[in-house]
Amino acid sequence: MAEQKQANHGQQDWEDRACQTFSAERKEDFVVLVLAGITLALVWTGLVGPQFFKSLFF
Amino acid sequence: MAGGGIGVDYTLRNLPRMLPGLLLCLVFGWLALQWDATIHNWQREYKEAAVVLSSVKEGKASADYNAYKQAKDDKYMAALGQFEKGLESKKPSKPFVLKKDTYESVYTSGTMPTKLEFGNLMIQIQMTYVAVLLLLGMLIRNTIGLPAIFQAGTIAARPIIKPGIVILGAYYLWSDVLRVGVIGLLLVVAFVMGTAVLICFWGRKGKVDDGLAGVMAAGAGVCGVSAAVAVAPVVNAKPRDFFYAIGTILLFGTLCLFTFPYIGQLLGMSQPVFGAWVGTAILNTAQLVAAATWYGHQSLLTANIINIVRVGFIPLIVLWAIYFYVIKPAAACADTTKKLNVLQVIREKFPIFILGFFVMVTLNELGFFTQTQRDVLGKDLLKIFFAIGFAGVGLNIAFGDLRKAGGKAFAIGFIAATLKAILAAAAVMLIGAEAFTVK
Repeated sequence: MAEQKQANHGQQDWEDRACQTFSAERKEDFVVLVLAGITLALVWTGLVGPQFFKSLFF
Repeated sequence: MAGGGIGVDYTLRNLPRMLPGLLLCLVFGWLALQWDATIHNWQREYKEAAVVLSSVKEGKASADYNAYKQAKDDKYMAALGQFEKGLESKKPSKPFVLKKDTYESVYTSGTMPTKLEFGNLMIQIQMTYVAVLLLLGMLIRNTIGLPAIFQAGTIAARPIIKPGIVILGAYYLWSDVLRVGVIGLLLVVAFVMGTAVLICFWGRKGKVDDGLAGVMAAGAGVCGVSAAVAVAPVVNAKPRDFFYAIGTILLFGTLCLFTFPYIGQLLGMSQPVFGAWVGTAILNTAQLVAAATWYGHQSLLTANIINIVRVGFIPLIVLWAIYFYVIKPAAACADTTKKLNVLQVIREKFPIFILGFFVMVTLNELGFFTQTQRDVLGKDLLKIFFAIGFAGVGLNIAFGDLRKAGGKAFAIGFIAATLKAILAAAAVMLIGAEAFTVK
């Protein structure tokens, strides 16, 4: 009985962990898309051009 | 965990906690890119100095720097003239000219300057920004350690590789994505799904606990930590087994990351073939992107498509695990309460960032980018995203995590993943570069 209870508890832990992971991965995906969108806008508007990268280094 | 796929909770509430580590990765990434730019410049100078040296030995070189420069300009103008007349199909690029002091030093000493030799050597042994970030990051993490204040941020830096994957879409046409993607799909089905199914059946036959075999099948087959976490509750994995499996996946991935570029060179793999190989054999996005970038840009273009196909398989592997470990046994004992909600699993597990990649490919197909914009996105800005992400990957390779590998999971996962890597190498080499080349 105690073993069964512990097993159920363990199962719940994993389910919670999986839910948290995938909710976080969803957020992560949205952040990724937003960052890519901002980058694209910067390049399209010409704010970031071919000299930008070289200007970052000595 | 090294290159693991557990999601980062990017919220404003977490930002102060993440900021120090993110800044550390930004600075570390910048330093590595500075190193990369320097050694590439030295290698360019090395190649030009070698030409000058051979002219000196033949007595054709002039002591006058201006005469050397003028000769280079004349040669370029002549080639440009040929191109404009339509006699040459490729427009010549502007010549690389040595700086005055370097030219004079090479001319008078008749030897190659040490720093140029060094730059050339660093490129030959592929000690680019990717290697520096991974090796130095790992060294820092396992010697002086990473103070707690930086830990959350360095973990949060790893997914910054993904916007790079999305904007790289500006380099592809749909014809390339479909051509390489279809072969990638076959490779993924054969090797990635094959490994997962093999481990499940092998585990059953060897009387390995379902939880352990299921987690290992998902992790070693598809997508490392992320898939393992998704499958763990389905297969009732025990925490100990789960961490054994994760340790094994991380150990295998780390070994692949540092050895595959050299194995690829030894086997004489072209860049597209290497990209197809790592896309199939390495278990998670960060590690395979790092290995492919390490090998070269063409390799990355191919690996990226295979990876997109592979991560699209996460929902399918979860569906397989539910079927194999839950539905099938339930059906065997006539339990009809357990059903498979395919749409729900796909909706919950599909990695939506890959849709951004497809949007970029479509924009490129429709002519929304100039060649300059493509290069800015797919070469310059990509490097910035990758450098920050690789800094996070390197600084999170902790030997303590790798030591968690063990038990039966280690044997099963390691053998299956190694077998997959060997067979995949043979398959991609047989298929050949043409099929994997992104033009």
